Amino acid sequence: MRPRLIGGEMLLWSDLDGIRGPAPVGGTALPRLLSAVTGRTLVVGPHEPSLVDAIPTGDVTVLVRGLADAEALSARYAQRPGRSVWCGSLEKLAATPAYDTVVALDGFGRVFSAETVDLSWQDTLNLLLAVLRPQGRLLLGMENLAGLHRLVVLPREPGDGEWTTADEYDDTRPAGASQLRHRLERAGLDVIGHYAAFPAPGTPTALFGGDILTDPRVGGFLAATVGSAGSPAGPVLADAGRLASRVARHGLAAELAPGWVVVARRPSDGPAEPTPEAVVAGGAEVHEVHRDAAGRWIRRAVDTGEAETLPLGPTLEDRLLSASLRHDLPTLRGLLMSWQAGPAAGVPADRIVAGDGERWHALAPAQEPAAALRRFAATVIEGGLSYLWPAPADEIELTSLIAAMAGRQFDAAQLAATVPQATRPDVQAVRELTMTRDRLLRELAEARAEREWYEQALTARETALKRAHRLNAVLSATVPGRAAIGALRMVRGSGRFLRATVRRRDPGRQP
Amino acid sequence: MHHANHYYGHSHVLARYCGLNDADPPRIAGYLQHGWNIGDGFAPDHEFVAGTPLFVWSERTRRRAWSLGRRQVYVVGAPWAYLLRMRPETGVSQREGTIWYPFHGWEGQHVVGDHGRLIEQIKQTEPGPVTVCLYWQEYRTKQVRRHYERAGFRVICHGYRGGWWKDLDPLFPYRQLAELRRHRRVASNRLCSAVFYGALAGCEPAVYGDPMILDGERSAFGGLEMIRRQWPELHGERIAVNIAREAAVDELGADRLLSPAELRMRFRWSDPRHRSGAVATELVAEGAR
Repeated sequence: MRPRLIGGEMLLWSDLDGIRGPAPVGGTALPRLLSAVTGRTLVVGPHEPSLVDAIPTGDVTVLVRGLADAEALSARYAQRPGRSVWCGSLEKLAATPAYDTVVALDGFGRVFSAETVDLSWQDTLNLLLAVLRPQGRLLLGMENLAGLHRLVVLPREPGDGEWTTADEYDDTRPAGASQLRHRLERAGLDVIGHYAAFPAPGTPTALFGGDILTDPRVGGFLAATVGSAGSPAGPVLADAGRLASRVARHGLAAELAPGWVVVARRPSDGPAEPTPEAVVAGGAEVHEVHRDAAGRWIRRAVDTGEAETLPLGPTLEDRLLSASLRHDLPTLRGLLMSWQAGPAAGVPADRIVAGDGERWHALAPAQEPAAALRRFAATVIEGGLSYLWPAPADEIELTSLIAAMAGRQFDAAQLAATVPQATRPDVQAVRELTMTRDRLLRELAEARAEREWYEQALTARETALKRAHRLNAVLSATVPGRAAIGALRMVRGSGRFLRATVRRRDPGRQP
Repeated sequence: MHHANHYYGHSHVLARYCGLNDADPPRIAGYLQHGWNIGDGFAPDHEFVAGTPLFVWSERTRRRAWSLGRRQVYVVGAPWAYLLRMRPETGVSQREGTIWYPFHGWEGQHVVGDHGRLIEQIKQTEPGPVTVCLYWQEYRTKQVRRHYERAGFRVICHGYRGGWWKDLDPLFPYRQLAELRRHRRVASNRLCSAVFYGALAGCEPAVYGDPMILDGERSAFGGLEMIRRQWPELHGERIAVNIAREAAVDELGADRLLSPAELRMRFRWSDPRHRSGAVATELVAEGAR
């Protein structure tokens, strides 16, 4: 199969290889949305081939701009009837309503080629809507230009794909999650699914719908999910995972999400097929969340269909930090003890939803308890909260201390040798680096002050010792002095004799 | 280690609680509060070395110290509370009379007040026999001691608190506990450590009489008036025992004591060299009972 060239194609370009720009949209959460796609489908822009594979319908056209990508996809689908690959720029597409579904999860940033002019966001949407049949569906992804991932990014040189970068100042581009919804509704679409995507617009592993984002009881699950979803690679201003948890805790996850994914359709008489409230992928497992008839949140494994109610309440880490910050030591010790005495001892605290009075729920498999404790210690240090404990901000020492509070005892040397470092070395965050520098400066100044004090104390004790020696010398030169020293020696000798006797009589006793 | 950590046998009690040799307690990596106060927990002339942790008795003291610019302040609870945990009261004790602690100054300070008037008030108030416990300074001042003896009171002293690593008295708190448990009531003319100690040890507390003042007493933290405003319920000849006990638990941090393992970690007492067994005080303390 040869790709069909529609005009504006880029002969020396690939988006799928991710070399001269970001990798194509992918991530483990999106296939769940694509699995519901029906009818004749158009996929616009670079998509990870596995996403396209997840579309179950028999008639799929993929439009990419780079010839290399078009050829690679053609080869991939050579044996798969019903798949066709087109190459070129979006505006070259005939504006006939030929598709039941249009998929543009990569957004509008990579649908035009260097050969053509770039269109505004609204004009691009209009182009897509022009090819959509009256009852057709649109799956759209959009990067949040004020999303968390953008807020922590360091400045960089524009890449080869950024021949224009005017998105920021495109006033037709929706500003924020709610504007995106309104814009689509104004264009005559019903929005049936609207998700905040974490941790990155191009690789979401967690999609959360609006209802679940505004339910405070789900906060722990939300914080645990977005917090562990990861941080952009390379140097950043601050650890985005930590910020994401914070943002979720304060109800800003929808507005500050790195991206949004929308499922919309042209008005139709038929009932809207249900979309999941959330899709969360962790490791090989993908779960979707929906509400049951009683209004409870149900989490269901996509593969096995296994379902359970969604754990409610804060994460254990949040509860531990909250108790620490309030200096509520009895509560803190109680939580640490419950954690380490229970079946979740080896599960990191940020992966446990620990509702008050609820059963604690582990969201990750258990590892060594020492590793889970060490991870919590690292969280404390990275979060700038090590001042809450009287140990230098050293992971091993803090782990040992927290373990002691939890009723466990670890040998520090063994801990260092057997449990890997928990501080994430891959996160190179300016905020964390600055914090570490300031802390080390302070610790150095304190160590110097301490050394000075020891110097003074040592001098004072040396002076006292010299005085004692002089006194000793004077005394031993006199007759009564010699007699006193002789008597002292006798007393010491009898003391040794007595102790030896006691030891002989009671050998089990400690020396 | 700061010499004040050894005052009143405090480091000895804690070493014993930690299962270490309490005849020669190891160095505490920090400053340990040694008396109840309404400042940052430490003496006004205490010198602080940056970065050295402050171990205070109660959460209230920690908050106050923080507000006064202190950092690295950690609540460990009072050594007294640890002593009581190690030596819980067994059986029904035969308690009688009142142990009375006239307010004392520290070394170098002198109390200005009328001991005669105070004695009259004690006689009028206390129903049973009275033991007056004087600070070592006053105990050694014959004039003051005689004053109380002539009034028919039993006059005692728990001992010297120790200073500059010399003349340490590990048995001080054991003696104090034995005395408190002999008495039904504990009283003083100021709300002070001894009143809280007594309340925690099961005595019915009272705070009344001329509070006396220290010669040149500074009241940077509000002094007597502040204490009266903050704890009005703990002043008077009769005080509700449950309220006093609750306050004592708070002020002595008795509800947040650390496990031996945790305390060892906090004081940096984890070095196995310190583990030579709690022997010395055991033998002497048995004799002191």
